[in-house]
Amino acid sequence: MSDESLAGLAADIRARRISPVEAVERCLARIHKWDGRIRAFIRLDAEGALEAARSLEADASAGRWRGPLHGVPLGFKDLCLLRGLPTSCGTRTPDYFAGGEECTAARRLLDAGGISLGKLNMTELAMGAYGDNAHHGDVDNPWLAGHAAGGSSSGSGAGVAAGFFAGAVGSDTGGSIRLPAGCCGVVGLKPTYGRVSRAGAMVLSWSMDHLGPLAWTARDAALMLNVMAGSDPADATTSRRAVPDYTAGLDGGIKGVRIGLPGNYFFEGVDEEIAAGVRRAARELEGLGARVAEIRLPDPTAMMDVSMLITRAEASTVHARVFRERPQDLQPMVRIRLQMGTGISAYDYLQALRLRAKLTRAFVGEVFAKVDVLLTPVIPEPQPALADLKSATAEAFNTRAGRFSRLTRPFNGLGLPAISVPCGFTAAGLPLGFQAVARPFDESLLLKLAHTYQEAAGSHRRRPALD
Amino acid sequence: MEPKDQQAAPANMAGIIKRLEAEIALAEEPARFIAALEGGQEAPGDE
Repeated sequence: MSDESLAGLAADIRARRISPVEAVERCLARIHKWDGRIRAFIRLDAEGALEAARSLEADASAGRWRGPLHGVPLGFKDLCLLRGLPTSCGTRTPDYFAGGEECTAARRLLDAGGISLGKLNMTELAMGAYGDNAHHGDVDNPWLAGHAAGGSSSGSGAGVAAGFFAGAVGSDTGGSIRLPAGCCGVVGLKPTYGRVSRAGAMVLSWSMDHLGPLAWTARDAALMLNVMAGSDPADATTSRRAVPDYTAGLDGGIKGVRIGLPGNYFFEGVDEEIAAGVRRAARELEGLGARVAEIRLPDPTAMMDVSMLITRAEASTVHARVFRERPQDLQPMVRIRLQMGTGISAYDYLQALRLRAKLTRAFVGEVFAKVDVLLTPVIPEPQPALADLKSATAEAFNTRAGRFSRLTRPFNGLGLPAISVPCGFTAAGLPLGFQAVARPFDESLLLKLAHTYQEAAGSHRRRPALD
Repeated sequence: MEPKDQQAAPANMAGIIKRLEAEIALAEEPARFIAALEGGQEAPGDE
């Protein structure tokens, strides 16, 4: 499993070179060996996975193929409602989120033949950029023990990197797919707002929440997005646009694609090794046929602030009950964030929503008249040591975490598709990554760019040793 | 340049709105955010 991509595993299963049961057993062996350190799971469902695998194996023997993910083991962030398993949302309450319909995106993956290995660790209520969790344990970075895996979809990113499953579902309100992908050296895609249904997933901020895939390769993410994307009556914000085949154009190359390297905001205050990694990736993309130029962007600070205000206000209303009735159940930094949201007036919230519309129109119109893709860092500083984070005060911790998501959050406000792609390693052995951003609903271009880069650079072929 | 503190207190958040709201047109409304995305240039493969 650790040496196979999702696409490779799906092909092997289809060719009967490996059975779904064998695939699950391989994953379980790795999980049993290493998850004591990684802590990717909140609830491992080994029996459920093996039962599903046996059913899929019987189907395969009879020539019945459920879909493109037949027999592929997957993991789901523990804010996705799935029948038969509690949904803690990273809180200490096992069934914090209960009683609703199943998560549409997760159900689509399972209906396509995917196998659920269980529910994945995350920061409490998806509030947090590092992957720490006082209730379920801090998720550890598979590449360097004792370092942050990124959050909030921490178990999703670390689990893919550790080879516990072939792909995972994460959610992203301010960077929570892209940050763990960047920290753990895997691909993470936040689709356009409206491309993937959020129905059946815990709400943090209905204006900013997105669901998306994390996987080893761009091709794997494309395979998952093919299944996850599309309109859903259960989520009125989903777009009715047709879903293209995201794998179809992957090998088309990037000749002539215009890439913009931001001259403002996105490289300011960024660690030199990280910035150099992104610029090196830009040169490699240029060598593959892209045209790279510096671009000055409309100041993202305004959208950053507006996004934060909207997120704080909405999160405080959604999670008001636990904050009011059981505040002692919440980690201090989560309480602080929810408290902040209660002080935002309706006037400011509504003006922020109006500003978001104006800023998005201006950004899309101005930027994508000049370039096809923006290229930025994902994180501004190297993955911190968990011990350093734990020794900080709640206020200092929150301030640092806010800075950690300053390169990803503007694209939640803008609703644009954004992908995190591994691009090498620091001298300390931690993954480097770049973020690519495209026009609304142009996930195909992002996946093609990421695939072209990965095939040329080959850094996705290196795996963490875990020892 | 040091990034500004993104964990601004609500009072500071209100300041954000005061600073920017003069630029909002009378006709602006939240739903125009979706229109801005859907009205973007068609991506290959979309219909």
